Amino acid sequence: MTVSSLFSLLLALAVTLWSSPVSASSDYHEQLFLQPLPQSSLLASFNFRGNTSQQSFDNQHFQYIPRALGQILQHAHTKELHLRFSTGRWDAESWGPRPWNGSKEGGTGVELWAWIDAVDDEEAFAKWITLTQSLSGLFCASLNFVDSTRTTRPVVSFDPTGDHSNVDGLHLLHGTLPGEVVCTENLTPFLKLLPCKGKAGISSLFDGHKLFDAAWQSMSVDLRPICPSDGDCIVQIEQTVDMVLDIERSKRSRSNPIPRPVPNDQLLCDTSKPYNSHDTCYPLEKASGNAWSLQEVFGRTLNGACPLAQSDDSSEQSVCLRVPHERQVFHSEGAVEHKNEDGFTRCFSLSSSQPFDLSIPEQAVQTEVPLEEPVLHAERTIVGHGQERGGMRIIFVNPSKTAGVDFILFESLPWFLRPYIHTLQATITGADGVPREVPASELVTGTFYRPAIDRERGTQLELALSVPAASTVTLTYDFEKAILRYTEYPPDANRGFNVAPAVIRILNSPDSAPIYIRSTSLLLQLPTPDFSMPYNVIILTSTVIALAFGTVFNILVRRVVSVDEAAALGAQSLKGRILGKLVAIRDRLKRKETKVE
Amino acid sequence: MATPAALPPLPFNPGRVRSYLVRLPLFTRLVLLVILAFWLLELQTIWSVVEWGALIPNEINLGTMYRLNTYPIIHTGFFHAFLNALALTPLLERFEAEHGTLTSIALFVGLGLGYLKVLVPPEKVLRWIEGKLNLLGRLPHYVSVDQKTYGRDYIYNSAHLVSSVRRKFPVNNAELRAPQQAGLSPSTRRNIRLNLLVVVDWETSSNGSRSMALKSAIRNLRNNPQLLFVRLPNILSFLCIVVGVVWLLLLPLNDYSRQTYISENALLPGQVHAYFTGSEQNIFRGYKKELQALIQEGRENGPQNPEVESTPAISNKIYSILQAAGLKVATQKYEYTSAGIGYQGENVYGIIHAPRGDATEAIVLVAAWKTADDELNLNGVTLALTLARYFKRWSLWSKDIIFVFPPDSKTGTQAWIDAYHDLHPASVQSLPLKSGALQGALVIEYPFENHFHTLHIVYDGVNGQLPNLDLFNTAVAIAGGQMGIGANLQEMWKHDDSYQDRLKTILRGMTKQGLGYATGAHSSFMPYHIDAITLQPKGEGWEDEMALGRTIESLCRSLNNLLEHLHQSFFFYLLMQSNRFVSIGTYLPSAMLIAGNFTIMAIALWMRTGYYSDSNKPSVPAGSEGPKSKSDQKPDLVAQKEVTETKTVGSAVAERVLALPLSLVSGLHLLGLVPLWTFNTIFHQYFTAATYIFVVVDIVLPLILAALLSNGLGIARPIVPQQYLLIKSFALLLLGLSLSTLATLNFSLSFMIGLLCAPLSFITRIQGPAAVRYPISILGLALLNLLSPPAVLIGVCWYTGVPIETVLTQAAFGWDVWGMWTQVVVWCVWWPAWLIGCVLLGSSMF
Repeated sequence: MTVSSLFSLLLALAVTLWSSPVSASSDYHEQLFLQPLPQSSLLASFNFRGNTSQQSFDNQHFQYIPRALGQILQHAHTKELHLRFSTGRWDAESWGPRPWNGSKEGGTGVELWAWIDAVDDEEAFAKWITLTQSLSGLFCASLNFVDSTRTTRPVVSFDPTGDHSNVDGLHLLHGTLPGEVVCTENLTPFLKLLPCKGKAGISSLFDGHKLFDAAWQSMSVDLRPICPSDGDCIVQIEQTVDMVLDIERSKRSRSNPIPRPVPNDQLLCDTSKPYNSHDTCYPLEKASGNAWSLQEVFGRTLNGACPLAQSDDSSEQSVCLRVPHERQVFHSEGAVEHKNEDGFTRCFSLSSSQPFDLSIPEQAVQTEVPLEEPVLHAERTIVGHGQERGGMRIIFVNPSKTAGVDFILFESLPWFLRPYIHTLQATITGADGVPREVPASELVTGTFYRPAIDRERGTQLELALSVPAASTVTLTYDFEKAILRYTEYPPDANRGFNVAPAVIRILNSPDSAPIYIRSTSLLLQLPTPDFSMPYNVIILTSTVIALAFGTVFNILVRRVVSVDEAAALGAQSLKGRILGKLVAIRDRLKRKETKVE
Repeated sequence: MATPAALPPLPFNPGRVRSYLVRLPLFTRLVLLVILAFWLLELQTIWSVVEWGALIPNEINLGTMYRLNTYPIIHTGFFHAFLNALALTPLLERFEAEHGTLTSIALFVGLGLGYLKVLVPPEKVLRWIEGKLNLLGRLPHYVSVDQKTYGRDYIYNSAHLVSSVRRKFPVNNAELRAPQQAGLSPSTRRNIRLNLLVVVDWETSSNGSRSMALKSAIRNLRNNPQLLFVRLPNILSFLCIVVGVVWLLLLPLNDYSRQTYISENALLPGQVHAYFTGSEQNIFRGYKKELQALIQEGRENGPQNPEVESTPAISNKIYSILQAAGLKVATQKYEYTSAGIGYQGENVYGIIHAPRGDATEAIVLVAAWKTADDELNLNGVTLALTLARYFKRWSLWSKDIIFVFPPDSKTGTQAWIDAYHDLHPASVQSLPLKSGALQGALVIEYPFENHFHTLHIVYDGVNGQLPNLDLFNTAVAIAGGQMGIGANLQEMWKHDDSYQDRLKTILRGMTKQGLGYATGAHSSFMPYHIDAITLQPKGEGWEDEMALGRTIESLCRSLNNLLEHLHQSFFFYLLMQSNRFVSIGTYLPSAMLIAGNFTIMAIALWMRTGYYSDSNKPSVPAGSEGPKSKSDQKPDLVAQKEVTETKTVGSAVAERVLALPLSLVSGLHLLGLVPLWTFNTIFHQYFTAATYIFVVVDIVLPLILAALLSNGLGIARPIVPQQYLLIKSFALLLLGLSLSTLATLNFSLSFMIGLLCAPLSFITRIQGPAAVRYPISILGLALLNLLSPPAVLIGVCWYTGVPIETVLTQAAFGWDVWGMWTQVVVWCVWWPAWLIGCVLLGSSMF
């Protein structure tokens, strides 16, 4: 397997390293995978995996499963959980296929799907709400906003990855928050779920500043039961953090992060140009041979291995690096290097006591790590303009010269975007580059459509599609933009409304694991009134009324007296009042007397 | 003396409302009073009036029969009572006035069954009661059963009115009491009543001499509809035009204009330091040398004018530079044809993906190979390339940045932006690479080698659309405040902030807006609601390309800050200086007044056509009097002057003959499609000839139409003068309608067309002897022909020295590519209105 892809390798690693411990009742593993990518990028893929036997899980003896999460799952009767936090976009054109075949990433923002054990849909939804509310608190994310309008029930897009005894009683619910901004507040609870909590092991590399400065970044939490045919069931939690760092940007010191123009003498110029001189320079872009070290890229070194990471054969290779073997790699003492036979991968066993650093000097290399072509490219954009109508355009490119691709396109659209499914049209462009219109039914082999209900649920559309070899399929449909009630606009700045990314599940992948691709999220401009005007009016009228009322009330209630009159005010006291009454009685008596006279 | 044409009665008079209320008869008053009383009663909470008096079927028995009478006068609330009273009053008043108070009481209360006319008490009985009790003498506002004998107007007797009227206005008593018997027509009766009212008003008001004069003036006006319907509209229309023009001239004054300000707080212009200096200049020079080499190569073996045209080699170079800088790059080929000229080219564009961004928003930077003036934009393109490489290093972008390199400023951006929204024609390729919603666009033009002095900001869009004022202000604030470069606009290189310079700037802006053409590569963005401006360095100074680069960097940083689409500031404004503007609320009345003058005239004409004057027998049906009325019933300017005062002009309603005027006006408006199609479709070399042919057509066509109209059109009944007025009325109505609508969209175009059409308000058929008619109408036609659309075009071209062909080629190009609709306004609004004016004037010769 000389030219195997990095990701099938990842899977292979997982099988070889972890297949034996899987049968053990409880264990914990972590691994960091590093690969320099073109354009001075670096993919860092962190993986943490812990097991607990089903029995002890049921008895609330959670071990490597975080108690906070375990209890939530038990309370919400959730059998399998997948939670994703993502920002940025994966640049498949330069970086190749996605890590973990896309199965560990979500769309921009937060994505959550779970299999819930419930009698009927209603109960499942009630438990789902319980689950989202609890997770919202646990992960400091707005998951509580996943309401019925943002919840879908995909039919064919997701399959359970765990082994479940009663599959029929499980309900799959899926929710997305495309507008959620993932940040350090989500990372801290994520780290707390780890046994070593960012103090030791590969998780000690996490620095919020660097992590969220990445060009693309995805955090995932997966919980599932695994029942081997020959053993007891276990519950497995798997947490991953994948990110693509810009090496140059990460190497800038934090005290001077501004990419100022480099000094003239440090410019990298093409000296072969005839006009090259001290003040004229045609820049040469650096090849992939950038120098970097863990310290430079992550801002800190690895604090030794996490002691909890079990290693039966004491050679847990928790840091792997994929560069050609001819490249020099320096590592700190105490770690042991193992080179793989494929010629590109080397792994390091760390000692638990010593800090670990990796350093790769700048070096011109002959061989390049091969990057596989992704199976399918997908791009989704909104077309048209205006506040009333619009259109959705999804382009699928199948780069393969020989094989067609079958996949499922899953769209969950908000209710205020009303698609006209009858306008679904397909254009196919073959190798000759001539686009021709074909009826959508020619490409769509199956449709699962659940229309939206205003203010209750969104549209759910699952299309089974196939794209022939070496061709491009453009799918378009029109939609109408609903007019919202004024209370339904969010109180934030009117940037537009986010539409959740489409999920594409590719069916005929070489191994059985499905490949997932997610499109970018979209911004939908709805007709928005200028709220500042009524706001100003309210403010103004309130002020005027407050002023007028205040003054008038003041004048009405307050009594203005002169200083000498103020003494008479003493009469208002209890003593004064009694005296006054007495005087009054006396006066009356006197008057009576005078009358009598 | 020719009597003025049929004039309508005087318009609504608020005094009549009062007199109406004063004249309300007795029973109506009582009912209203009871309704009011019950509403007041309902206000207290102890006793529910509604419960007591409502018509509830279950509650009806012998003891509660009163409910049958109380339910109509009990209401559930104030508005219920008020609206019902409003509906009831006129009906009940009418009924009582016609049938008498007693009958009303009997029908509405006594029996509670107002629906059964059978049950009306015999008239004899009622009259007996009335006579015995002397109700007429005792009760005020009482209406006798005998109204059939005495007539409706008899109610005047009940008040003190009659006596006073008799004193002041000696109308024959018998006539007043029984007009019908006296054989007076209904219109005469109305006039008598009007005069009565005038007298009453006059009597009740104070006797001060000033108010006397005023009253008599009003009375004069009322008595003289000639003034109101013939002369007043002319005066008003003329005033509207004058005020409209003066209004515009006032705008540059400090009192009417405002200082610009940044409305969107997120923009924070000039609050960041721009770092685009130092070694970036070396790279700028490197890129420039690279492009210069290609230009040199193209000059050696290329076609003519290789200096300016972009070549595939240059496209490829730009492509490779962008790719090396780490952008996602793509190309787009396009082709347009207009007026027989083909335009083709290839756009190159690259996208900087916002780090951590999600492709939802983007900013566009455009550097066309050819500027809007067809100069080589070498420095601009090089600067954009250098900026692309420089921006790529920054991690703070929250929006994608798209660099577009079109081969020219006219077609390239249009093709690109159309395709970006998937609204492109088939000859334009769709974009293989896209980003999110575009938030703003900047165009860089730097077509010369020396250092520059100021920055010229171009902001006009297609069809007079403008970018949000915030974008312009940000550019001015950054250029002036942060970079220390002055900002110019509208090619006003020396602006001393005087009234003249301000006005000149406004007028230049209005000309561009009114013509509606694209003034640069930024113009194409405007129809998609993307705010865009062009930055052009101008003059000789010491600012170099890096200063321009820093300005753009700072502008991009400001746009990058935006949380929402630019919407805070104005979209409709007139700029008079880089820091002074007038907003739509201030300038709009100017064009609206000019458009309004046509509407005023149209309404006046419409009202005039509806009546005959008294002198003509009103009993004669409209159709049969044709030729006679032509001679003596016509309105004409000469005659009007002779009319001094006509007392108590009675008039009768006339039937309007609408078929011919309507079909003529709509037909001529549809005819406008012919020149519209012609001037946008034929090949460019025929444009000059077509224009001159059209001038001739414009001279001949009105005369032919006028002759046809006057000589019967081959129809048995020839055209009557009323129809001439109607034709003019419809034409002006349509013109006023179109122009006032247009004023809200494209103020300047509406203003210009309005001014050019202004004479049309005052043109009519000329009457009088042939010796007067012929010279005047020929002179008028000649003058009008100077204001015809093609004549104006020729005149403007001659004045500015631009060939007609160039202008029309540009216009056809705008129509085909930019989606410009100035031509539609010219040919389908202006030209038909002008044509009808000429036909009216020409008809006086036949």
